[in-house]
Amino acid sequence: MTIIKTEKLTKVYDDNSLPVRALNKVDLEFEPGEFTAIVGPSGSGKTTFLNMIGGLDKPTEGKIIIDGTEISKLSDSKLIDFRLHNIGFVFQAYNLLPVLTAKENVSFIMLLQKTDPKKMEARAMELLKQVGLEDKVDVRPSKLSGGQQQRVAVARALASKPKFILADEPTANLDTESAFNLLDIMARLNKEENVTLIFSTHDQRVIERARRVVTLVDGAVAKDERR
Amino acid sequence: MKMLITLAWRNLWRNKKRSLITISSVLFAVLLAIIFDSLERGSYERMIDSMVKYSTGYIQIQDVLYEDEPSIDNSLLFDQEVENLLEAHAGQIDYYVPRIQNFALAATEDLTRGTFVMGIDPEFESKLNDLRDDLLEGGFLTPNDQDILLANGLAEIMGVGVGDSLVLLGQGFQGSTAAGIYRVKGIVNLRVPEMSNNTIYMSLPAAQWFYMADNRLTALIVMPSNPKHTNALARDLRAGIDQEWYAVLTWEQMLKDLLALMKFDMAGSMVMMGILYIVITFGLFGTILTMMIERQREFGMLISLGMKRSRLAIMVFLESFFLPLLLAWSTLCLCRYTNAYMSWECSWRWV
Repeated sequence: MTIIKTEKLTKVYDDNSLPVRALNKVDLEFEPGEFTAIVGPSGSGKTTFLNMIGGLDKPTEGKIIIDGTEISKLSDSKLIDFRLHNIGFVFQAYNLLPVLTAKENVSFIMLLQKTDPKKMEARAMELLKQVGLEDKVDVRPSKLSGGQQQRVAVARALASKPKFILADEPTANLDTESAFNLLDIMARLNKEENVTLIFSTHDQRVIERARRVVTLVDGAVAKDERR
Repeated sequence: MKMLITLAWRNLWRNKKRSLITISSVLFAVLLAIIFDSLERGSYERMIDSMVKYSTGYIQIQDVLYEDEPSIDNSLLFDQEVENLLEAHAGQIDYYVPRIQNFALAATEDLTRGTFVMGIDPEFESKLNDLRDDLLEGGFLTPNDQDILLANGLAEIMGVGVGDSLVLLGQGFQGSTAAGIYRVKGIVNLRVPEMSNNTIYMSLPAAQWFYMADNRLTALIVMPSNPKHTNALARDLRAGIDQEWYAVLTWEQMLKDLLALMKFDMAGSMVMMGILYIVITFGLFGTILTMMIERQREFGMLISLGMKRSRLAIMVFLESFFLPLLLAWSTLCLCRYTNAYMSWECSWRWV
């Protein structure tokens, strides 16, 4: 069963006089529970690919089908709603809301989903416990280390019970210990909650943990390796 | 909604220094503007209040010619028609104060000065303007008193005190000579400087006798039961009296020059205030715009997480709303206490 499918996915940026083909007819499929690393040199189209399947950007050509829905045809408003209920994001720069505590940041997505307050509280506490931050629930991001912030971001991404999580170079700003810690947590969550994880990364530590590695070169799939 | 309000409120305090500096600068500017405006309005109100109390009253019934030519020859006869009119509107009238006023020369052994003589009913005059409480020394007039009261400024200029005598010389009704020597019974403190330097009070019968104007008044001041109904009462009085002989004027009609000057002056202040508020608005707008531009990336992130644009717009609106709201609230609080203090201080010093 395929959860994400791209067909001849193409993205051309033509803002400047010279059009740039960031993705070139990418055909990929992802199964539920996969732990995939999208790798490749800078400018190979990793982030563009994640933006496309995350519904943050629209393709120039081709299709993106997520769980049977062709998201490239959805209106902006429906796409926002689709993201809210189906996709979790982990950003390189954590992107937590600085004015909210760790628990509030995790609850934020559930608030947008209009989850029952009691269930929301319980889920936020459970997720923070899963990422080892049960003692930091009322702490704001500025008082957390980079690794801790990224773990809150992971908890936030999981809060909406998404079909898959997209992580754009999540370990890029972390030291080795924090990076391993984060990867352990994500690997565990991948196993325990059967969450599909797709990373874009340069980080060898992530690549070594991934069960599938897709290599992009010049916007096209150069290698698709399953381990 | 609660989440949006919480987010907006906390975002406002994200950069505490900037928010506090904005609030302080606007607060200071608005506070100063309001204080100056209040001082201006307060001083005008005080002036009007004093003029109404000591000079015009709320409504005056006069001879129809008196306003254009304020001479004792244009005084009115306090006859049955006027009395009937007052009786007919007794429910709307609190009390009335008869006055006869004219000019006279006042002389001591060494000095002569033009003065303004007011013949009053001491009891009702005091009810109108607390004149009895303004007595500085000596005694107050009785209804048929033959002595006089001097305003403190005039007493000082003339160099007379309680028990001294003044010679008064003037022109009475229809060209008669008004002359007499009067003992100073008391000195009163008048709060209007122009009046303080030239006013003499006499009992009404004494003044009518002095000016040979028996039973005549230059003005009959009518105090409405409710000052808010001044215009309505004046309209009713006009309807009930022969307007060929009598004029019924409100304080606004009698002080129209002063009011016009005041309005002109206040219009200038309003323009200045408008300019100040426009500058403040631009300042605020600048702060809010900076807050928004700084967070474009965050807004993008919120949308990517699934926050609808409409909700984001509400959050931004709430943030833009909270800052002016906070400013308005803090300015109101501060101005309320500042003005209350100034009002208390002024009234205390006035007494």
